Amino acid sequence: MHILRMRDAAYERNGEQIVAPTSLDLAPGERMTRVCANGHEAEALAMMAAALARATSGSVTIGEYDPRVQPVHCKRIAAFVPHDPLPLSQMDADRYIAYRAALWDLDPLRARAHAQLLLERLHGLHEAFAYPVVGALVPSPQLLVLDRPQATFTPAILEAASGCAVLIVQAQDRA
Amino acid sequence: MSPGALMAIVSARLRAERRSLAFACASAAVVGFVQPHGIAAITDPLTADLATRSVWLAGPMFFCSTIGIALALAQGPGRHTYLDTTERSAPLFGRELARAKALAPVLAATLSALVYWAAQYVSGFAAPPTFFILALACVIASTLVALNATTRSGARRLAPIALAAATIAIAYVLAVYADAYSTKSGDAVGVATELIFCALAGFIALRQYGESLARYEDFIGQS
Repeated sequence: MHILRMRDAAYERNGEQIVAPTSLDLAPGERMTRVCANGHEAEALAMMAAALARATSGSVTIGEYDPRVQPVHCKRIAAFVPHDPLPLSQMDADRYIAYRAALWDLDPLRARAHAQLLLERLHGLHEAFAYPVVGALVPSPQLLVLDRPQATFTPAILEAASGCAVLIVQAQDRA
Repeated sequence: MSPGALMAIVSARLRAERRSLAFACASAAVVGFVQPHGIAAITDPLTADLATRSVWLAGPMFFCSTIGIALALAQGPGRHTYLDTTERSAPLFGRELARAKALAPVLAATLSALVYWAAQYVSGFAAPPTFFILALACVIASTLVALNATTRSGARRLAPIALAAATIAIAYVLAVYADAYSTKSGDAVGVATELIFCALAGFIALRQYGESLARYEDFIGQS
């Protein structure tokens, strides 16, 4: 069984191909890094893997589900960590965890305790980068998709996400 | 969708747009105070009735609906990327997310309309509650129609904005003129037709917003 399976999954927008046909299999607990040509391709591939974007051709399955048909089931399995840090000036960390707990229908006190535990494991990461990871891991996903994480933070993130399959999508350039 | 998730999205959106909301309420208060009060002496009852309605309704309908459209457009992608990404990655259906995202600008626009009415009341020329409800229905409907612009890009954004402007104009015409030629039924015809029109326009716009939000993927490349 695979937690993420892509078969010739491609993404195009306005006639422009952003992600070339991609195939990959990710087993539960497995870690994988994919390197894309540029930032747009990396972002689109990460979003396809986390059911935030639908492949325009080919197939993607997350767990047993097709994101085009059952996106909500897929989003309960996969968690997405964006490339951008959390703007702490606009939303403080505690409020961010409470906000995510409400969206995932989690018990707020348990979510806060779990977040505190994860934050201790992510010791060394700047809060603006740590909280999106913590927020993604609080609902205990089976698959964590990291969109262009900073290389220095990746080992700590992988340690915090123990037991969870991780797909890291990197870009060759910084576009 | 749990009530907690709905509240979380609405409160996060309102907090993120608190400066816009404060500006909208402040400008509504100022315009509510300075808008024309009273009408010229008119002996013809039909003309006087039309003039009174237009003075009551033109300000709140056109001004507060414009505020609603602006607040709806502020919900577009790119302004608060962290909220957009988190909401999209949450296990919610497009229609659920659309309802929650729509509620924030609708509440903000409603608040600014209430402030406008309070300013009119303080300055001694508030519209009767029935007419305020007509204005509020128009504000809510045009805000919901304008939300569809946030799921489009380029020149295609203009179509929902034009439809929102048309919604305001039609609601105003119905509220001011529909009763003027049916005096036997009092205000019932104007009130009913305007409310039904706004309810239909708002419902269709919200459905369309949910559908387009579920398909919307133009956020890629914004980070």
